[in-house]
Amino acid sequence: MKLAVFVSDFKLACDTLERLNADKLGIIFVANGVYHATTKENGKSSSLLDKAPNLYALSEDIQTRGMKDEDVDKRVKVVNYSDVVDIIFNEYDKLAWI
Amino acid sequence: MATLTIGCFPGLVGNMTYDFALKLAEAAVNKGHKVNIWFSGNASGSVKAKQKHLKDYSTGEKHLRALIEKGVEICTCEACSIARGVDKTNAIEGIQWNAMHWYLAKIHASDRVLQIGGE
Amino acid sequence: MGDVKLAFVVQKPQYKSETSRLAITHAISYQTVEILLEDGDIVTPTLCFVGEGVLGLQKGQKAMDLYGITSTETHIKNCLLVDLDVLVCKEDLAKYGIPEDMMPDAEDMGADKKIKVAPFSEIQKAMEDAKHVLFF
Repeated sequence: MKLAVFVSDFKLACDTLERLNADKLGIIFVANGVYHATTKENGKSSSLLDKAPNLYALSEDIQTRGMKDEDVDKRVKVVNYSDVVDIIFNEYDKLAWI
Repeated sequence: MATLTIGCFPGLVGNMTYDFALKLAEAAVNKGHKVNIWFSGNASGSVKAKQKHLKDYSTGEKHLRALIEKGVEICTCEACSIARGVDKTNAIEGIQWNAMHWYLAKIHASDRVLQIGGE
Repeated sequence: MGDVKLAFVVQKPQYKSETSRLAITHAISYQTVEILLEDGDIVTPTLCFVGEGVLGLQKGQKAMDLYGITSTETHIKNCLLVDLDVLVCKEDLAKYGIPEDMMPDAEDMGADKKIKVAPFSEIQKAMEDAKHVLFF
C-alpha cells in the first residue's frame, strides 16, 4: 500500500508508526509535528526522519511557530496546503492521522 | 476531480487540529475536488450558529459557511451535537444532521479518507 | 463500487478521549449504512486494537454503574453481535500483561462471533486489504 501518515505531535503517544509497513510510506509533518523536521533534541534529529524516504512539512505550521522554511532538515520537503492536496491524491492511496 | 472525505473529531476551541481540517478542505475544494466533512465528538459542538470570533480563539462558523457555499458537504453527528446542547434550531444553516452511517456512506464513494481523531 | 473494506485502528486507550469509543460505534454503524447506498454496495469494517488501544477492553467493566456511561465491554459485545471482525494485537496484550482470556465475548447475548487475538502482522494485512484506514 501507498500510505501517507500525518504526524501532528512532537512526542508520539504510541509506537504504531514504528511498526507500520508500506510499499511507499510518506510522512507529512503538520501542527506540532513540524518540530520533527526543525528541531534536534540533545543535538539529535528525530528518528522519524529515518523512517521514510518521503518526508514533508507544512510551511504554514512552520511559520506559525516562528520558524523558517530554511530551518527544516534537508531531507524534508516544505509544502503548503495546496501541495498536500496534490500529494494525497497523486502519490498515496491511503491516509492516516497519528 | 476526486473525492476527499474528512472525519473531524477534535473540538473547535482548545487545539488547532480542527483548523487544519478546514484549511485542508478549503485547499482541496479550491483545486476542484469534491469534499465531505463529518463532525463527531467535540467537533460536533462547532456547528452552533452565532459564534463570536475572538482573536485568541479559533472560529468555525465563517469558515463553515464559506465551505458550504463552495459545495462542501458538512454533516454533524446528531447525537454528539444534541449531547452538547446544539440542535437544528440553533445551528448553522446548511449543515446536515445525520448518524454515523452518513460518514461510512461518504467513505464508500471517496477516493481518499482522512480520519482525524479527537483530543 | 461493491464492497468497500475499511480498517478502523484504535491506538489510544478507552475512557479518556472519546475518540477510542467513537471508533467502535462508527464501525458498528456499518449495519445501517445500506440505507444510504446503492443496491449491492456495502461497507465492511475490521476493528483493530493496537498499542495502548488494547487497554480498556477487558471483561468486568463497571462504567455504567460508576459513571452512567455504556462500557467499552458492552460496545465490544455489540460489535460481536453484529458480526463485526474485531482484532486485538497479541503482542500488545502480552506487552501490557493482559491475559487473552480477559477479552470479552457476547455468548450471553447469543453471538457466535469472537474477538480474535491476532499478531500485528495480521492487523497490518487488514490495513493493506482495506481501501481506507482510519486511525483513532
